[in-house]
Amino acid sequence: MKATSLSRHSFSRRLKGAVLSLAVFGGTAVAQAAQDQAGLIAQGKYLAEIGDCVACHTPQGGRELSGGLPFETPFGIVYSTNITSDKETGIGHYSYQDFYRAMHEGISPNGNLYPAMPYTSYHLLTDADTRALYAYFMNTKPISQENKDSEIGFPFNIRMGLKAWNLMNHEDSVFTPDPAKSDSWNRGSYLVNVLGHCGECHTPRNAIFAMDPTAHFQGTVLDTFEASNITPEELNRQNWTHEDLKQLFTKGYSRKGTVFGGMYPVVYHSYSHLTEQDMRAVTSYLLDNEADIEALPLAFNGHDKAAPGYNTYMGYCAGCHGQDGEGRPNVAPALAGNATLDRTSVYNAVSLLLNGIVSQHYNSTTSFYAMPAYADKFDDQQLTDLVNYMRTTWTAQKADIGVSKVKDIRTNMKQSVH
Amino acid sequence: MSQHIQMTVNDQQVGPVEVPEGLKMIEFLHEYLNLTGTKFGCGAGVCHACTVIVEGKNGVSEVVRTCISGVERFADKKVRTVEGHAKRNSEGEITELTPVQMAFLEHFSFQCGWCTSGFINETTALMERLAKAPVAAADVEQVIEEALKEHICRCTGYVKYYQGVKDLILNTKGLTY
Repeated sequence: MKATSLSRHSFSRRLKGAVLSLAVFGGTAVAQAAQDQAGLIAQGKYLAEIGDCVACHTPQGGRELSGGLPFETPFGIVYSTNITSDKETGIGHYSYQDFYRAMHEGISPNGNLYPAMPYTSYHLLTDADTRALYAYFMNTKPISQENKDSEIGFPFNIRMGLKAWNLMNHEDSVFTPDPAKSDSWNRGSYLVNVLGHCGECHTPRNAIFAMDPTAHFQGTVLDTFEASNITPEELNRQNWTHEDLKQLFTKGYSRKGTVFGGMYPVVYHSYSHLTEQDMRAVTSYLLDNEADIEALPLAFNGHDKAAPGYNTYMGYCAGCHGQDGEGRPNVAPALAGNATLDRTSVYNAVSLLLNGIVSQHYNSTTSFYAMPAYADKFDDQQLTDLVNYMRTTWTAQKADIGVSKVKDIRTNMKQSVH
Repeated sequence: MSQHIQMTVNDQQVGPVEVPEGLKMIEFLHEYLNLTGTKFGCGAGVCHACTVIVEGKNGVSEVVRTCISGVERFADKKVRTVEGHAKRNSEGEITELTPVQMAFLEHFSFQCGWCTSGFINETTALMERLAKAPVAAADVEQVIEEALKEHICRCTGYVKYYQGVKDLILNTKGLTY
């Protein structure tokens, strides 16, 4: 009896132990899976931030990722779409394969996407990152908001044409690290070229509006501003340091000026979220240099009171930018070594004076006030004199901008805006 | 370093007068002309308290903030400050306020009064614009909002300012249709 009893008791205990083990094991597995999924979603959220999805898929004053932001293209207006997890109006009904094709091939379940969606850069995303992004988007808050039809004129409104464009300009390939470069440099290349899709704005386009691979990052005019030349040659010529770029990408300003136009939302929503390690990778890639760079003194060549443009500067600009261009914290950037002035192209210097800059808010203690537009105040000669004055006073550039150049920029800008 | 500047302020010829480099217009008004009605507020061009009127191209007046503008900007131009609105007798005593000033008084628009000169100048310029290009009566509120929205009143007396301007525009012949 005793033996039997013991045996029964022992069996019962073993059985309970086994069940408990299975439950614990099962519970651990479930908990582990949940943890993995949470990690995947968090990773996808970070990647989506670096991919700048919010900036393009959020209408002004609207709900995040719900789409509807207009993009003016040479062919008409395209509206970004709802990419929340809403199953009716968003992408909640996408399978992973649907999502992969949209990101890599520009083909959604509803047909071809216009290349305003930068699948021409995103196609280099790794499968692991695409899966993380999918996990994140399928867990975003669903927002019911119908997509707007694009306002593209004939024949470009026939999306079948995009198949031909893709055949000529697009191929889904994989990101290939450069074995001659470090892991950090390659990580930077991946972040900048793929997720950050910087080339979509900073690389000139060819005759059929594909990024020109021979002019990678050499800068091009977009509407009222010019996306800068961000080749390592140009950035190093302007003495950008790792710290300068880090400041610009995290705060929107650095000792060499502030971002403006389309770069403001990029910094606000995207690059300011880069981890320290990824930031260094990005700056190492952009500068093509991993070593620390010495920050050279910023130029202030002194005032030439006889120069045309001096009185205009003192009357209109010095109030905010300072008598000697020293700027004012939280109001206006300094001009010494200012990157916008220190460029071969004066497009942005002229366009900023013509159009002004909207106010920019970064955090509770840092904002920059709006700069007024002077299109109606200055004629072409005054603008030319002012730009030449500022370039020679605060950079090593020469006063060689002719009035015809400024006139061309004003004329072309009017055409592009209207 | 200094330079010589001349301009017309409230119909009075000023200068040529020697001024230092970097002098702001509000300093010129206060320190050189003793015209202290124009108030220095934020000093960064945001609050618009320091706004004056400058006769612009084609006789169209424009408003300019004097705290961020160098005195060079006003060289050889006609400038109107808050002191230049009311009528005065030969002894310099005020004999008659302008309709804009009266409207603000009648509506008890201002409290501390720091922003008032800016509101008066902006409203006066708006009235002059509307006299040349009237607007539909239904659009008056929107027009006022556009013209005055940048003016900051720390006492938050906006409603009375806006009501005063609205009544004035709607009751002045030729500004609306």
